[in-house]
Amino acid sequence: MSNTELYTKKPLPSKLLIFGAVVTLIGAAMSGIAFAGDVQRASFGLIMALMLLISVGFGSLFLIALEYLVGADWSVPFRRITEIVAATSIISILVAIPLLLNLHEVFTWLRPELLQADKYVAKKAPYLNETFFLVRVIIAFLIMAAFYYIFSIRSFKQDLNPTEGFRKTSAKFAALFMPVFAITISVIAMDWMMSLNPKWFSTIYGVYYFAGSVLAALAVVTFIAITLGENGYLSKKLSNDHYYNFGALMFAFTNFWAYIAFSQFLLIWYANIPDETLWFMDRTQGEWMILSLILIFVKFGIPYFALLTRPSKGNPFRLRIIAAWIFFAHVYDMYWNVGPEYSKLAGLKGPVYGLAELAAPIITIGLIAVVFYLVGKGKNLMPVNDAKFKKSLDFHL
Amino acid sequence: MEEKILHSVTGIFETPDDIIKAAKGVSSAGYKKYDIHTPYPVHGMDKAMKLPWSPLGYVALVLGLTGASLAILLMWWTMSVDYPIVIGGKPLFALPAFIPVTFELTVLSASIGTVLAMIIFLFKFPNTSHPLHDTPYIKKVSSDKYGVSIEASDKMFDLNKAKDFLHKLGAKDIEEIYWDNEELNTVKTIWDKKFLGGLVMIAIIVGGGTYFAINKLVYMTPFNWMMEQPRLDAQSVPVYFNDGFSMRQPVEGTVARGWMPYLITDADTAQLSDAKYMNPVPPTEFNLNKGQRNYNVFCSPCHDYHGTGVSRLKAANKQDFPNPPSLHSAKLRGWSDARIYHVITKGQNTMPSYALQITPEERWQIVHYVRTLQRAMNAKPEDVK
Amino acid sequence: MGIEIINEPSVIYGKPSLASIDDAIIKPTNEVPSKKYFMALSVTITMLLIGAVSLGLTFYKGTGLWGLKNPVGWGFDIVNFVFWVGIGHAGTLISAILFLFRQKWRTGIARFAEGMTIFAVMTAALFPAIHTGRPWLDGYLMPYPNQHWLWPNFTSPLLWDVFAISTYFTVSFVFWYIGLIPDFATMRDKLAKNADSITQKIKKVAYTVLSLGWRFSNRHWSHYEMMYLVLAGFATPLVLSVHTIVSFDFAVSIIPGWHTTIFPPYFVAGAIFSGFAMVQNVLIIIRKIFDLEHIITIDTLEKMNKIILVTGMMVGYAYGMEFFIAWYSGHEAESFAFINRAFGPFAWSYWIMVSCNVIFPQLFWSKKLRTNIYFMFVIGVLVNVGMWFERFVITVTSLSRDFLPSSWSYYVPSLIDFGILIGSFGLFFTLLFIFIRTMPVVSIAEVKAVIEGSQPTHHHDDEGH
Repeated sequence: MSNTELYTKKPLPSKLLIFGAVVTLIGAAMSGIAFAGDVQRASFGLIMALMLLISVGFGSLFLIALEYLVGADWSVPFRRITEIVAATSIISILVAIPLLLNLHEVFTWLRPELLQADKYVAKKAPYLNETFFLVRVIIAFLIMAAFYYIFSIRSFKQDLNPTEGFRKTSAKFAALFMPVFAITISVIAMDWMMSLNPKWFSTIYGVYYFAGSVLAALAVVTFIAITLGENGYLSKKLSNDHYYNFGALMFAFTNFWAYIAFSQFLLIWYANIPDETLWFMDRTQGEWMILSLILIFVKFGIPYFALLTRPSKGNPFRLRIIAAWIFFAHVYDMYWNVGPEYSKLAGLKGPVYGLAELAAPIITIGLIAVVFYLVGKGKNLMPVNDAKFKKSLDFHL
Repeated sequence: MEEKILHSVTGIFETPDDIIKAAKGVSSAGYKKYDIHTPYPVHGMDKAMKLPWSPLGYVALVLGLTGASLAILLMWWTMSVDYPIVIGGKPLFALPAFIPVTFELTVLSASIGTVLAMIIFLFKFPNTSHPLHDTPYIKKVSSDKYGVSIEASDKMFDLNKAKDFLHKLGAKDIEEIYWDNEELNTVKTIWDKKFLGGLVMIAIIVGGGTYFAINKLVYMTPFNWMMEQPRLDAQSVPVYFNDGFSMRQPVEGTVARGWMPYLITDADTAQLSDAKYMNPVPPTEFNLNKGQRNYNVFCSPCHDYHGTGVSRLKAANKQDFPNPPSLHSAKLRGWSDARIYHVITKGQNTMPSYALQITPEERWQIVHYVRTLQRAMNAKPEDVK
Repeated sequence: MGIEIINEPSVIYGKPSLASIDDAIIKPTNEVPSKKYFMALSVTITMLLIGAVSLGLTFYKGTGLWGLKNPVGWGFDIVNFVFWVGIGHAGTLISAILFLFRQKWRTGIARFAEGMTIFAVMTAALFPAIHTGRPWLDGYLMPYPNQHWLWPNFTSPLLWDVFAISTYFTVSFVFWYIGLIPDFATMRDKLAKNADSITQKIKKVAYTVLSLGWRFSNRHWSHYEMMYLVLAGFATPLVLSVHTIVSFDFAVSIIPGWHTTIFPPYFVAGAIFSGFAMVQNVLIIIRKIFDLEHIITIDTLEKMNKIILVTGMMVGYAYGMEFFIAWYSGHEAESFAFINRAFGPFAWSYWIMVSCNVIFPQLFWSKKLRTNIYFMFVIGVLVNVGMWFERFVITVTSLSRDFLPSSWSYYVPSLIDFGILIGSFGLFFTLLFIFIRTMPVVSIAEVKAVIEGSQPTHHHDDEGH
């Protein structure tokens, strides 16, 4: 039918694979050198990489589910891109493996001497122990893989063989996905990042990581969608109004992140209970204080004003820059979450940044590019057989 | 019948598509002063009419930033400058705790300000005397029709041409709208009786209200049971007790707050060793200065500024007033601090008690000063080095 | 390959003409109300009077008439306050947030929900005012240079409340009024200039004044739409901030069970949850009484039920997370607070809360139940009961077991407490019923803008696009 007129397939350039592979190798080499030097520090760097990849991959799955649930029109043309990007959630296992081999380096709750010294940490042993941790990690990856199959692979299949009722079942799975996602991403955030400081606890932490993850996934999808669109890989019928929604969503989630981050800070700062403030103490002393203040501007102030006005959201060129910035801001946020724990463990007063830390965003970017090429190769970059596809291309504000 | 002044020519259209077409037609024909009236906002009309982008977003931004700055300024002034109190161990300028109120005031000023700006400056509302009101035309466009009105004040307006033009566009019910002469002829003057009367009324109401609010309302005590609660006053007739007192005697051995009983008697003086009663006030510069000051005020009239015992009182009065003994005798230098303290407190021989004039802390400071005098007047060679 | 038929439910059933929408919506304001209406109104006014008597007694005798005693210093007053503020949130969510998300199904219910917001906030604002104990001194909460040279404490969450509630009320009111202006103008133009009957004359004058002289000009619509967008943009973070600040009242303290960082989003979710349940309940009644079934459609109600389901799960997530972290923290006081909630003397209220908020709404997974009017009504009532008890659980269980076991006690509300609670419902519903009778409950202009055929068919194929 006419769907093929709206979109003509254009294969992804192999440049993308080369770029991705080179960047990944550089990142891996940097991390490798770091591992040769200081295993502990390199492991902390990899935690950042893992959290970034899960952010992008799992966050993309969330975006897909959200689209099905609210019945959004505008995002249908980009759903295929989101589906491909979601594969990063699986590929993040590559980063998790070296980490799992070095768990003792990063998690102090695995050290018996600490368990004896601190009765509060000792009490957490039923949750914070190696076996249960591994079980949770495996379950989390299985959940991500299952939903990757449900949302992405089924949608790829629909390209070749249009199936009846695809949208309906997907919407049902999306409803199921939401509670599972909420619990899984909270557990991931608490396991990999909150437990770096085993004494500290915050009920909002899962939501905090969720807010950042959705931002990161949105930023990556926006960046890829605009890049592909400008280079003619997507339908010619796409207008600025389509991209505008990415800007609006990024704006909304930037505010949401700020809201969550501020709530967490205000409540802990105000009540001033030693067991809670210690986490913020690590981040507000010495040079970390400066980095914390910068975070406010990097992740909230600058994107907020960049996305506030309507013209900036409707201009794909500017939107792409902002998307890149927001991804960078999420990298910085992860560093702000993970870095101080390493500094504390290593007995350092201030932050460190070097090969180990820089490897994280580089590996992430490289892997996203590789995954996007390998998964997207030979596939339509738009869900041409989706029942809403034609209607969605006509979307106007 | 005087001649009516034309305001505009109006035409009615039936469907949204027609009105969009008509709007494009009118605007491209070069008319500037025309308007489209629709019962609800029709998509794409701004473009068809070539309307500029509404500036209200920027108005809101400016007002919001103003509100935020004023809020911060208010809280900084009240909490850190005008009435600084440390609350909950937080700094006087506790920015995180100010953010909620700042946010609320930002939203308040931005939203209310923008609405008022729109209604007053952009719409020039309230205005219920526009010629279009209560015409058949507006009754149609307020319900289910779409209308165009071309105003007579437009430069290229010509009644017949405009009518033809509307007809060509496909308009129905083409109608001429006239100004209401009664309204046009009403001369607005300050000396209008109704206006003045209104002013007087408002003045009376506002004045009376203000008077009542300031002089009566704020002094009203609606519920003052707190002040009238049952209680026993001192010196009042006893209600519960038969001994004639409302107030009860304190229990034996009760000590008033902030007051220490002085338990040393003259008989104890021998035991007042330094080891038993140490001077609790440290011999700092501050305490010595205080001691000197009080010594000069209370002690020096008899004991002399240097403690030699040459009394100024005696010199002034030429009376038979005995000079006190010198403070530098070996006996006195051998006294413990507490002994000197006891003498100041209780007096000795002719010297009265100074307990009422000098607080315990000041007495100890004086003791320090006396010790200093003693040392100064009996300096050993080592002290000079 | 038209594989699937997308069955997007239309916002409005059928294809009513624009004029018939006017009639359908304006009709209730012109007719003499039915007997049913007066019966309902007399019930709510009776409730209001019960509340007024209870409040009068409270003012006369003091707050000692309430069930409060050490260590439970916050009881029904705070519970009711949080409950009613929460009810209000759904209105803003429907009118502002769904507007920003371009959810057209909101049009049928937006006006009504906004009205509910205003009345709920009015009801809510009563409680902080009376719970200060001496409401005649509440004026000092405002920062003005008073004769005592006193400024309010801006670091206190209770003062944040004052600002949040007053801002929320003002902005909601303006939002609501702005939406009403074109509708007032329509109602004004339905009346002849020189009507005979005196009621018609009064109405004409009232609508003329209230509509400010609106004349449906597109030069105005252009600004008006922008204004609406800006207001919605402000109202959205505002609504989040209000319940966030309400949650701060609890969470900035160090009382176990109150101090937990998830409170802000959890309270917001809970507010939307209970608010939607309330809107849904009242809408079911309204559409029945006023024959608005084709405007407030079953699809709209179903969508609301979906939101109830989603927010109910968010609330459930927060319950779970609180419980887990209370254990995870390793602190005796924290764990005790939560075990005490679930198995202590107030366990009955905790399990009412969990079953009403988390378990029963799960039945909405079934489409059949979700679209059954009677069933959803029951669930809506249960959700409101559950959410009221949630505030009760949070406030009372934590306070009744403070840090000093010798002062632990059980909270028993007094009859006056119940009287004020009943009165708050009376106030809310009385205002609502009066609103229904005197103003258009559905936005005329907005409904016209979304019905089929009301928008130009090919406005996208403009030149230069």
